[in-house]
Amino acid sequence: MSATATTGASAHRSPGDWALKVAPWVVLFVILAIVPFQFPSFRVEQFCFWMTLAIAACGLNLLTGYNGQISVGHGALFGIGAYTTGILITEFGVPLFGATVASAVLCFATGILIGLPALRIKGLYLALVTLAVATLFPLLLEQFSAITGGSGGLQITSPQLYRGEMRERPIRLESPVAGLENDQWKYFVFLGITVVIFILSRNLIKSRVGRSLVAVRDNEVAAESSGIPVSQVKIVTFGLSAAIAGIGGSLFALDQGQLYPSSFTIVLSIYILVAVVVGGAASIIGPAIGAVFYGLFSDVIVQQMPDRIQPARAVILGVLLILLMLLAPGGIVGGFRTLQAKWSARRSSALNSGPDPIV
Amino acid sequence: MSSAGDGVSSAGDGVSSAGDGVSSAGDGVSSAGHLLEVKTLGAGYGIVEVLFGVDLVVDPGEVVVVLGANGAGKTTTLRAISGMIAATGQVKFLGESVLGRRPDQLAKRGIAHVPQGRGTVTALTVEENLRIGAYVRSDDQIESDIQQWFEAFPRLGERKDQLAGSMSGGEQQMLAIARALMSRPKLLLLDEPSLGLAPLVTHEVFDRLREISASTGTAVLLVEQNANLALEFAARAYVLEAGRIVLSGNSADLQGDAAIQKAYLGV
Amino acid sequence: MRDFLQILLVGIGDGAVYAMLGLGLVVIYRSTGLLNFAQGEMAMFSTFIVWTMWSLGLPMWLAILGGMAGGFCVGALVHQVAVRPVGDPHEKPLAVVIVTIGLFLGLNGAAQLIWGTLDRSMPPLFGRGQVTVFGVAVAWQKIGAVIVLGVMVLLFYLLFQHTKLGLAMRAVASNSESASLVGIPVPRLLMLGWGLAAAVGTVAGVFIAPNLGLGTNLMQLTLIFGFAAITLGGFDSLVGAVVGGFVVGALSSVMPRYITIFEKMPLAPAFILILAVLLFRPEGLFGKKQVTRV
Repeated sequence: MSATATTGASAHRSPGDWALKVAPWVVLFVILAIVPFQFPSFRVEQFCFWMTLAIAACGLNLLTGYNGQISVGHGALFGIGAYTTGILITEFGVPLFGATVASAVLCFATGILIGLPALRIKGLYLALVTLAVATLFPLLLEQFSAITGGSGGLQITSPQLYRGEMRERPIRLESPVAGLENDQWKYFVFLGITVVIFILSRNLIKSRVGRSLVAVRDNEVAAESSGIPVSQVKIVTFGLSAAIAGIGGSLFALDQGQLYPSSFTIVLSIYILVAVVVGGAASIIGPAIGAVFYGLFSDVIVQQMPDRIQPARAVILGVLLILLMLLAPGGIVGGFRTLQAKWSARRSSALNSGPDPIV
Repeated sequence: MSSAGDGVSSAGDGVSSAGDGVSSAGDGVSSAGHLLEVKTLGAGYGIVEVLFGVDLVVDPGEVVVVLGANGAGKTTTLRAISGMIAATGQVKFLGESVLGRRPDQLAKRGIAHVPQGRGTVTALTVEENLRIGAYVRSDDQIESDIQQWFEAFPRLGERKDQLAGSMSGGEQQMLAIARALMSRPKLLLLDEPSLGLAPLVTHEVFDRLREISASTGTAVLLVEQNANLALEFAARAYVLEAGRIVLSGNSADLQGDAAIQKAYLGV
Repeated sequence: MRDFLQILLVGIGDGAVYAMLGLGLVVIYRSTGLLNFAQGEMAMFSTFIVWTMWSLGLPMWLAILGGMAGGFCVGALVHQVAVRPVGDPHEKPLAVVIVTIGLFLGLNGAAQLIWGTLDRSMPPLFGRGQVTVFGVAVAWQKIGAVIVLGVMVLLFYLLFQHTKLGLAMRAVASNSESASLVGIPVPRLLMLGWGLAAAVGTVAGVFIAPNLGLGTNLMQLTLIFGFAAITLGGFDSLVGAVVGGFVVGALSSVMPRYITIFEKMPLAPAFILILAVLLFRPEGLFGKKQVTRV
């Protein structure tokens, strides 16, 4: 939908520039395609988890990065998505990805509900509501243990043909393609969904709606006076953001096959926020980079540390968050953009070799 | 660069001969000992430069005004002097370089700044505003000073337990000035005290200021848009235009000069 | 009826603790305009300091004073190195919230590193005894909490209303620019505010730890109760924190008892309260109406 705008702008670029712009994406996709064949199965499983986190972070980024509303409760929305999927499949026999769609819808509604206070309150206060949601969520799971399984966990099962008869069996994503292992198949399915979600978010941000998101973030009063329905924009953004987080959660459920309340505490919410901030809020690809960073950190680096200093992981992430806010509020992508701007400024001044245009 | 074209006179010749009711309160002004000496002051907000080398001096007990249109950099000048924004150049107070000091450090040295608009702490009562004004003091005359203000301004006394934020604009301005003077400053920086006040109230505020300055010997550096009023009040004036001092001289001379009035003061 | 009274009194005892944590939140909100999401973790950290001193053989009251001093230092340090450099919370609420969340993570992890992940036990400050009033048994610990809260409120009242320092702190909270112009060293006072809030949190932690067991997640639920208390009372009101604390304590003790859906979630009434207050009366019962400023 934003194609007209982009082609108009890129018409002025030289083919070399175009190649420079496309090349990194080609490289990225090649890498992503090779990865599941280069790593052992448990790593590929981890990559799948990173993708669910990336999706949730993408949702949070819409809200926090582009719309300026902070949520410390996206872990709960992720959890709602996961449990909705699990319950729909196990109790109602809904097909796997049908449950994902239903989870997204339910999370959208929940997000609207949580975002309602945004009608009256701003900034910090919404963060407070979401913090409360995040803290409450695991308790809710325990309270309604009849359907969630409580702290004993929820085993996601579906009727499957087993030794000639239909039985409730743990769900599995079977690879229909010969030569692809189940985990590799799952990887590509998740990758496809992740890419689609990121592209859709990108299109949303580049659209008129996306511009109104940013306008509301930058100056609510100005946005209001230029005719943007601020409250509606904020609430719908919250809903959308929640729906995306819910899709992430739903995939998490399909990935894990079993769910425990302890996976969805406030800490998960914070880690999603970490992914957004580290990768770079208000950049499309930032949350994905942040999620990979978080995954590398917690699944690879932290595993190398002795047990005694495992909690150092929280300390490092906490300190990292603070340092980023102080030194590079734009995260990895923001830092990269700054470098790029400096580099191109230097190059253009070298080319012009004239006096500085400004000052 | 700082060719601050000395239109009427150079900035060195001290206090004007009284002329319009301003007395120099008996300070012997020495040529060397300026109270405040500002040289090539530059400042701005972010990447937007507002001041491009402002030079001015204020001597002890002197009343000086900086005139200029909206956006000329008057407020920025005061904010740079009192350390509220980063600045370049030189600011000397009592012979000591104070550039880069925080506002609270300057307040301790004797500079009191009444910022534009409401300089009161609205969530404190009138009396608390006066008391907080004396924050830098530790002598035993604070209470009696507060009482003096209540006597001088019965309206403040009547409302001493009321929140400052609930008072009218003129009363708040008066309170802001009183609060600043509670620190017994050597220099009072005043940012557009007439802003948003009815003409009658403005006149009263200036009358009071004149009395106070004369009786306490406090030097005043005032920035104003209301040129005629300010020139009546101050002994000496600078004219600021687009971040530079373009003119300075005795108020009486500036007032009399029709060309100047037309060009710079927009009368 | 007696049953109800019993539960209500328990709730009021809990409410006193929520109010203590709320006081710390209000102090920080009043001086910086910030909701400190790390308040609970600061309290947890300094409660561990108390435990350490006590287990080294110090008498409990001395350990508490030590913990408060330690908490004060942690709070002041945190403000100096992490909060202050980020800038004005009014201009960059997002960045400052993220910093407090970073603090939340960091302090929690640091406590796990230092004290491990096992819960420690701490004796109740006022013993395990009970007293029977009108046929209802009340633990001394609960009565003690109400008394200590009373003393804290009195001290805060004296500080804010009757000292030069308190006056300066209020000036900073209301208008930090004017405050600095009258000579108040604003950053130092903000640091002091953070220190004080952390010290107060220590006391809250000392009262909670014997019930819940002293672990690194000691305050995570309690913080929500504290937030509910100040949301109800008004973010900037000390009195509001106290009233709010008692109401939240009573509600979350009574409601789960009579409404089965809340049985395992004493937090739910607090949450509903936060939502309802923010929706219908964002300034709370005692707060000033400035919540919706942009």
